[in-house]
Amino acid sequence: MTRVRVLMSLAAVAVGIGLWFALTAPPDALQGEYARLLGIHPPSMWVAFLAFGVTALGSIMWLIKKTDRWDRLASSSVEVGVIFTAIGLFTGMVWGQAVWGTPWDWQDPRLMSTLVMFFVYLGYIALRNAIDDPTVRARRSAILGAIAVVQVPLVYFSVNLFRTLHQTQSIRPDGSTMPDEMLLAMAVNMVAFTILYIALVVARIEVAKVEAENAREEAVAGEAVRPPRLSEVEDV
Amino acid sequence: MSETLVVAGTYLISYALVVAYAVYLHVRRRRAAQR
Repeated sequence: MTRVRVLMSLAAVAVGIGLWFALTAPPDALQGEYARLLGIHPPSMWVAFLAFGVTALGSIMWLIKKTDRWDRLASSSVEVGVIFTAIGLFTGMVWGQAVWGTPWDWQDPRLMSTLVMFFVYLGYIALRNAIDDPTVRARRSAILGAIAVVQVPLVYFSVNLFRTLHQTQSIRPDGSTMPDEMLLAMAVNMVAFTILYIALVVARIEVAKVEAENAREEAVAGEAVRPPRLSEVEDV
Repeated sequence: MSETLVVAGTYLISYALVVAYAVYLHVRRRRAAQR
């Protein structure tokens, strides 16, 4: 638990520094204050991509090694990834309203592919909650986690592959299209959000460990000590 | 001014979501440990 506290404290300090960089950068000539959303929108989506990549790694490793730790890593990472995808979608909609004049376009490939990715990983969480047997749950979610990651490059490169309202990448092999102050604010926040991601995943893994231990003890003690499930409770 | 408020509100809501999740994990772990 101490490890989680240290990581959370480190993340809080890092996010605080990131916020300071985002708020002290000069406003953009065209977008004004809205350009400060660079400090939260791209870092959130970066963490979402990282989280789903880690989930794919954990899923593939589980399919090879069949050890609980890989299943815990994959499932914990998904939860954090879904939260940051939600933040990415929300901050993107606020930014879209300001810059495009609309928060959402149902025909936009970047927006729609991100939304589909969000729902697929929500489905991953729903799938896990629907299966009681830990091995079956781990196997089925590992297969989904390993396959679903194909959406990550699809979402990332959708701005290059299709016509979309969303701009193309600001950082390219030949340099950046952003002013240095904004680039620095975004980079600092990306590092801060990565630390935050690590802290949250470690905290989620700790929860999963304790719950798995409880489930094992219940299995050993037998049905007598297991709390009743909602589906088993009869109306009174 | 309204631009600043919208940006500040967006940051606030986003951070609040992360803090709420961290608190949820803390409570869930404590409850699981007490069982």
